Amino acid sequence: MTEEGRIVLSVLGALTFCAILAFFAIYFVRIKRPTHFGYETVTESEKRERVAGVFTSVAESYDRMNDLMSFGWHRVWKDHFVASLNPGFSPLTAGPDPRGPQHILDIAGGTGDIAFRMLHTAHVLNANPAVRVTISDINRAMLTVGKQRSTTLPASQQAALSFVEANAENLSQTRPLHPYPSPLEPTSTDAHGRQEQAFFDPATATSSIPSNSVDLYTVAFGIRNFSNIPAALREAHRVLKPGGVFACLEFSKADRFPLFNAVYKEWSFRAIPLIGQLVAADRDSYQYLVESIERFPSQRDFRDMIVDAGFVVAGEGYEDLTGGVAAIHKGMKPRA
Amino acid sequence: MHPPTVSCSAGAAATRRLLLRPLRPAILPSSRLTPAPPSRSLSSTTCRPITSSPSPFNNKNNNRPTSLHRPQQKQQQQQQQPLRTYHSHTHPAPPGPFTPAEAHLLSAAYLHVPAHGFTPEALALGARDIGLLDISPAVLPDGGAFALIRWHLYFQRTCLAGKVHDIFAGEGEGGAPRTVGERVEALAWARLRGNEGVVGRWQEALAIMAQPSYVPASLKELAQLADEILYLAGDVSVDPSWYTKRASLSTIYAAAELFQTTDTSPGFRETRAFLRRRLDEAARAGGAVRAVGEWVGFNASAAVNVLRSKGVRI
Repeated sequence: MTEEGRIVLSVLGALTFCAILAFFAIYFVRIKRPTHFGYETVTESEKRERVAGVFTSVAESYDRMNDLMSFGWHRVWKDHFVASLNPGFSPLTAGPDPRGPQHILDIAGGTGDIAFRMLHTAHVLNANPAVRVTISDINRAMLTVGKQRSTTLPASQQAALSFVEANAENLSQTRPLHPYPSPLEPTSTDAHGRQEQAFFDPATATSSIPSNSVDLYTVAFGIRNFSNIPAALREAHRVLKPGGVFACLEFSKADRFPLFNAVYKEWSFRAIPLIGQLVAADRDSYQYLVESIERFPSQRDFRDMIVDAGFVVAGEGYEDLTGGVAAIHKGMKPRA
Repeated sequence: MHPPTVSCSAGAAATRRLLLRPLRPAILPSSRLTPAPPSRSLSSTTCRPITSSPSPFNNKNNNRPTSLHRPQQKQQQQQQQPLRTYHSHTHPAPPGPFTPAEAHLLSAAYLHVPAHGFTPEALALGARDIGLLDISPAVLPDGGAFALIRWHLYFQRTCLAGKVHDIFAGEGEGGAPRTVGERVEALAWARLRGNEGVVGRWQEALAIMAQPSYVPASLKELAQLADEILYLAGDVSVDPSWYTKRASLSTIYAAAELFQTTDTSPGFRETRAFLRRRLDEAARAGGAVRAVGEWVGFNASAAVNVLRSKGVRI
């Protein structure tokens, strides 16, 4: 290792140490672990409140984790992502768009980070209240978090939102979200009495997303976790209208800048699992997070996967953010 | 950008492939492009460099698909091949920086630029014209405004080759350009005429091009334009003047373009006069530098010879 690299690493080490101290402080003072009310007997309304509380804390820790891991920069990425798509924009013409209102499908958008920004851009900045957004996620817990957060939005924006549970690899089987707790599907608990994450079971599907029905398909920091990415891309191609846009914000490779990349790798493999352990009490999940980032294909390879799914791209087909730590990939479904 | 060569940098296989093909009339690009009538109005059909190349030569040799309506599997191969940075007499021009879908969308949006400027409006209206959605321009990098400007630059630059035939048509009869310098002026003027349709919007475009993230791409386009003009004018210098000529032409062209944005004289007469004055100045300055260099060189060698004649061992 070069001298330069060693200096950078030692500085990073010192920073990490300070961070650890700070997190210990946060850990003991502020973090409230989910209460074990699984064994308690509570009324249904009480339970609903408590469950809601759990999801609020999940959402809080989710946001706090993202802020800590990316130094708050994920907000800038998401803002840029939505601004570059400019949803709801419509040229000034007499009368409404004859092709009907825009429909945006936000896949893996459980907590609503992207969807709420989309709604803001479309309804407020572009003054186009006809735009509606469907948030889809395989994880009912995350969707419930998003649903809860959406209550702070203006009523017109809430009305334009819908939540569905779906597996992105097969959008022909979906189900409108029924938030926890559900009388039909009692929540399961693990050995500690905590609620397990409930993933969408296609057998319970009641509806579907039709082909050629979506203007804009977005997936932010989600596609990495799909078990079959080509299938998800084909499904995106199916549901998009001709001329519709597929847009993906995802972690990527910063190989172009070796020194920066070395620092970034140190941060992600040493600091992030530690932060996860301290803040979210879940080291394994965050270990998985950094490993999945490492395993995700490079910008060009992923662009080629998008093209293979039948999309056309413009220019290079991707845009690097922060030197390639994250990247935006876009593709358009051509006219048949 | 490197000094021009006509040698083949492609692999031997490519050379063999080319040799198997019947010989074409070799040199001037005017012979390999269908002459297009000089377009005064803004049009995406009179000179279309990407989507419908009229020359079978261009179509055969690259894999560029001509239709937007089918996904193209070859696309990524094209994008990965390195772009040649010099003009070749023996190879077709490398593909432009736009994918077919992008070119189709941008050429449709380009028609709306005079009315709406280099804006999302023009892009959305262009997308509607070719049966796409309002959201479709989102696929372009950074929302597409700069892509639209770049399209204008690229389109007008590649149009020059098609206009060469008309510009040089009356050559030798009087009034028509003869020397390289005159041809450069004629070509630079033809390129400035290409701005006519959008000149009311060109200040906006210059402002966008001056944004830090777009400066490198804009400067590259300018350099390519200077290179194209000098190449078409028949400049064959292979000494350091290759660089100085391109640098000075770039400066003069950029200045003339800025002048043009505020020029209200009929037919942009003032801009033409401005361009001519600047080119004359450059020629005079170049001549002065050359003369001084010659004088210094002559006297230096004379001084050395005097010293040698006095027995100094130099």
